[in-house]
Amino acid sequence: MKKTIAMLLAASMVCPLAACGGAKKAPEGGEIKIGTISPNTGAMAVYGEAMVNAYDMAAAEINADGGINGKKVVLVKKDDQMDPTESLNAFNALVAEGVDVVLGAVSSGCTAAITDAANEEEVLLLTPTSTADSITTKDDYVFRTCYADSFQGKIAAKYAKDLGCKEVGVLYCAADTYSKGLYDSFANACKDYGINVVAAESAATMETIEFSNQWAAIKAKGVGFVFAPFYYYTVGPYVVPQARTAGYTGIIMGADGYDSANNYISQGSDLSAWNNVMFTNHYDPADKNPVVKKFVTNYKTKYNDTPNALAALAYDGLYMIKKAMEKAGAEDAKSVRDALADTSTVYKGVTGTFTLDKSGTPVKGATVVEYYYDKANNKVATKLRDVVKKLD
Amino acid sequence: MSGSLQTLSDFLQCLIVGLRLGSVYALVALGYTMVYGIIRLINFAHGDFIMVGGYTLFFTIPAMLAVNDKLPIWLAVIVAIAVCALVGVTVELVAYRPVRKKGTNMTALITAIAMSLFLENLAQAIPAIGPNYKIMRRMFSNKAVLNFLNISLDWTTLLTILIGASVMIGLQLFVKKTKLGRAMRAVSEDKQASVLVGINVNRTIIITFAIGSGLAAVAALMYFAQYSTIMTTSGTMLGLKAFVAAVLGGIGIIPGAMLGGLVIGLVESFTTGYISSSLADAFVFLILIIVLIIKPAGILGKNVGEKV
Repeated sequence: MKKTIAMLLAASMVCPLAACGGAKKAPEGGEIKIGTISPNTGAMAVYGEAMVNAYDMAAAEINADGGINGKKVVLVKKDDQMDPTESLNAFNALVAEGVDVVLGAVSSGCTAAITDAANEEEVLLLTPTSTADSITTKDDYVFRTCYADSFQGKIAAKYAKDLGCKEVGVLYCAADTYSKGLYDSFANACKDYGINVVAAESAATMETIEFSNQWAAIKAKGVGFVFAPFYYYTVGPYVVPQARTAGYTGIIMGADGYDSANNYISQGSDLSAWNNVMFTNHYDPADKNPVVKKFVTNYKTKYNDTPNALAALAYDGLYMIKKAMEKAGAEDAKSVRDALADTSTVYKGVTGTFTLDKSGTPVKGATVVEYYYDKANNKVATKLRDVVKKLD
Repeated sequence: MSGSLQTLSDFLQCLIVGLRLGSVYALVALGYTMVYGIIRLINFAHGDFIMVGGYTLFFTIPAMLAVNDKLPIWLAVIVAIAVCALVGVTVELVAYRPVRKKGTNMTALITAIAMSLFLENLAQAIPAIGPNYKIMRRMFSNKAVLNFLNISLDWTTLLTILIGASVMIGLQLFVKKTKLGRAMRAVSEDKQASVLVGINVNRTIIITFAIGSGLAAVAALMYFAQYSTIMTTSGTMLGLKAFVAAVLGGIGIIPGAMLGGLVIGLVESFTTGYISSSLADAFVFLILIIVLIIKPAGILGKNVGEKV
């Protein structure tokens, strides 16, 4: 099955070149190999698959339009199953294949495992999606397409403040780079806003599926706002439903890991549990901006699905590389690094128009998306609640 | 609410969660203990029987609802019990029995581990299953039965505890009161003597496997009613904890497995509630070590010297 899909995809990538016959110039100056690392199987497969789709789509578009510097983009895709050890193995395999530029990994925990290696091997690493603050601060060769967690955590704290909450709760995983990083930035921002974190409950791992006792403890504190940064595969079936079962009815706020959680709800569950659940995200698929519109329409035609934020970031990631390579006029890691390190370059992407800061993190806004129970269609739907450009 | 009342409701909440976790562990532990009792084999594939039961439920429920959507969802467990029992008996006939005849206890143990990996990978190779998570339909409502003093008890939890208790009582009666149950106890005590009094040993072993694996299907119902994501390795950690429960209670002793399961469930819940969830697994294994130092044969086990 997988093979057939891969062959179809390969075929669909070749077709435009063969068919267009000179309308656009075909790339003729050789190939550029770009590596990608994403969790295409395992717990995070929903994200990995969407990103691979977006990479393929972007590469096909770029190649149909003459490639990068006249060269054809060839993607070398690796699956890390969201296991940091596998991420490093995938990275080493890509280096061994002579790849100079790598897009990946996806979760912050996985990317943290390869940033040092990227620096050591002098391979350019651009992670489209890893939001942990620490990802880009240490290493010269590491950049990203998404904003950092300090921004997401702050937005969540600001929301608590705007809603007039004086006391809030947190449910997080202390052992995970992403969850802990978000907790830290949220707690710091709360301090600045004069909000007390009265209940801080933790789970052993990001794969934890039992939160009943934690929710009972949070509920006992009587808070009306809880920040719970987890990933969609536990948020959908466990974090949110168990909160409601435990009797917590207040707001649950998450971060970008909540995207797609509504596809992970057990059929026959009480969907009204999803009212009062919101999260920060990278883009809004319903945005009227022509860049977003074109991306969403093309993706829908090709894959029959609305692209999630991860797909949008992956798409932007490959175009960032294109821009940097064209600016440098070269494709080696060092030149691309220097081009990306230029903080004046403006990138116009699906996830916003942005420049990179000194560490290599985009300066851009976030969307705040809300889940709600759509009674008419009997499903959990999303709506855009807010667009946050900047925080004071 | 006053402080002491809150303390009481915290305690009761942990107790409820602990009993729910414990009933699942106990049912799985029964499977380990019954097989160990009768052929002295730790059936490491038992955790994977739960996975088999889970996937059977996953595929049976929509099929059943397509035929008649008025049917109660838990009826699918009957199909799951049948499939699990069949898998259990097949594993015994195809792998364990031939290996037992030729090899030692150690070869049998390795075969069990191999069987566990084999089942997981076989399941993954089936296109309808694959390597990714699947989401089960909700089997019982997660609405609260009662919400009292800050304690919430939902239907899934209540039913899990009730099903667990009734299966355990039923099994205890079966083993104590029926002819087949007596035969099982006799075989587990002395195979040669059982043959002498006219018990068909091989048939008894097969029936034990069928019942033990069938219990895994019931455990699958209880487990996946609560935790709806299923993948091919879903049974691994559950199986390991239940194995610890069986050893803790005294492996080979049926009430021991029940007690062990409940102890592990309660320890896990109270550690999460009162200390830290990161330490829950650490405490489970710490308790195992302490009990084994004090009483190597488990809580209900009797220290019997090896006959020379």
